[in-house]
Amino acid sequence: MNTAVQRLVPAVTRARTFACACALLALSTTAGAAGTPVGTVIQNTATIDFDLAGTPITLQSNTTSITVVERVDVAVTLQSPQVVVAANDSNRALLFRVTNTGNGTETFALAIESVLAGDDFDPVPAALSIYFDTDASGDFNIGDQAYTAGSNDPNLAADESVDVFLVNDIPGTVVNGDIGFSQLTATSLTGIGAPGTEYAGLGDGGVDAVIGTTGGESSDTGEYLVSDVAISVVKAQVVNDQFGGNQPIPGATITYTITMEVTSAGTATGSVLSDAIPTYSSYVPNSITLDGALLSDAIDADAGELDTTGTPSVVVRLGDLTQTDGVKTVVFEVTID
Amino acid sequence: MNKLLSVFLLLALSFVANADGTGHLNVRTVVQKEQVTVNESGEAETALVAADTVVPGERVVYTITFQNISDEPAENVVITNPISGELNYVEGSAFGPGADIQFSIDGGQTFASRDALTVTEDGITRPAGADDFTHVRWVMQQELAAGAQGLARFAAVLE
Repeated sequence: MNTAVQRLVPAVTRARTFACACALLALSTTAGAAGTPVGTVIQNTATIDFDLAGTPITLQSNTTSITVVERVDVAVTLQSPQVVVAANDSNRALLFRVTNTGNGTETFALAIESVLAGDDFDPVPAALSIYFDTDASGDFNIGDQAYTAGSNDPNLAADESVDVFLVNDIPGTVVNGDIGFSQLTATSLTGIGAPGTEYAGLGDGGVDAVIGTTGGESSDTGEYLVSDVAISVVKAQVVNDQFGGNQPIPGATITYTITMEVTSAGTATGSVLSDAIPTYSSYVPNSITLDGALLSDAIDADAGELDTTGTPSVVVRLGDLTQTDGVKTVVFEVTID
Repeated sequence: MNKLLSVFLLLALSFVANADGTGHLNVRTVVQKEQVTVNESGEAETALVAADTVVPGERVVYTITFQNISDEPAENVVITNPISGELNYVEGSAFGPGADIQFSIDGGQTFASRDALTVTEDGITRPAGADDFTHVRWVMQQELAAGAQGLARFAAVLE
């Protein structure tokens, strides 16, 4: 019906001023690792510029609006290295971190499972077997509060995490080298399901909640290793002050002597001695010896070094030790600042 | 179609344009998202549905449609759309028949083709990434004849 012939115009872009080509945010919040916050409204308006009969005209489209609703996701990650235990140990703890990886506030139920396939023995959950690391020490101790399902389920904001201990007893029947698993599971109380499952109105502020890639549930498993090797470690110090006496005064040198010995059957595998330099004292360069042989301070092929990555520490790798290796002696010196 | 009817239609369209004062072009934008459903044969089917709500990680598709409802050809037609900071452009998703597609990384002040844009941070220059784009625009290579329609589209993922 249209008789006008389309003609080519030069493919050169003209400079134009756009009346409004900006994204409008009704609720501006910074997107964190967990994603754009619940309730964020993203509006969009397109602009069209053209010439009609030689007159430049700028028009705006309608404005679309999308609202960010809640995505339910959680991550449980083991924080402990393998925990070395002995038969009949009680209240041995594994540390986990539960992180709300969704974009809204969410409450999670916690559960322990210690009967798992693939290990040598089943740890026995203690009477109260889940605790929060209330004092944030990383160690399970008297100040940590027990978890009771339905009573103090952790309520976490987006990106927020809480550290949790699983506490197990070790049966008397285990032998050296046995490994036992224990697993922590965190489950969203909004619901679980295949990614994309919707829970209408159950998100923050009554918006919809949508299950994310984790399915609203996450688990991780920690390990106990049975090793009944008994090790004796003794640390001694000798002070020599700069006036020929033995007073611990600024400028005095302290010589630390650490002796280590396996006192039972079994092998202490990959033994590493690590001793931090005390506060307000300075390590004396090139003062580390192992059984009388000097070890350089550098991180190199020899068995020891001064590790300065965190608090300066003397580190000596003793390898696999048994009773037949006898006493290993590490000596180093510091001066009092 | 006979000429009389064409003229009548053109008049009707012009009348609409004058009535709502849109300046002789209609421009509409919609935002949609992909919804995967399984059909009776058990096959996954992807359809675009209205995106009133989205969650982080979800992909949304913006479609801008425009029509010249005047009786004159529109020349030098350029459609510009911002890419909100919460959205990351999906590489290769911008689409517009007859348009040269360009991007901005400076809030819409300057535009260039996707491959011509670089970002310099801490003295290191790198190609612009999907989350650097602030705007996308479609520069129509031909005039938009009276009554003709056009379409511009791109997809983005919510951070």
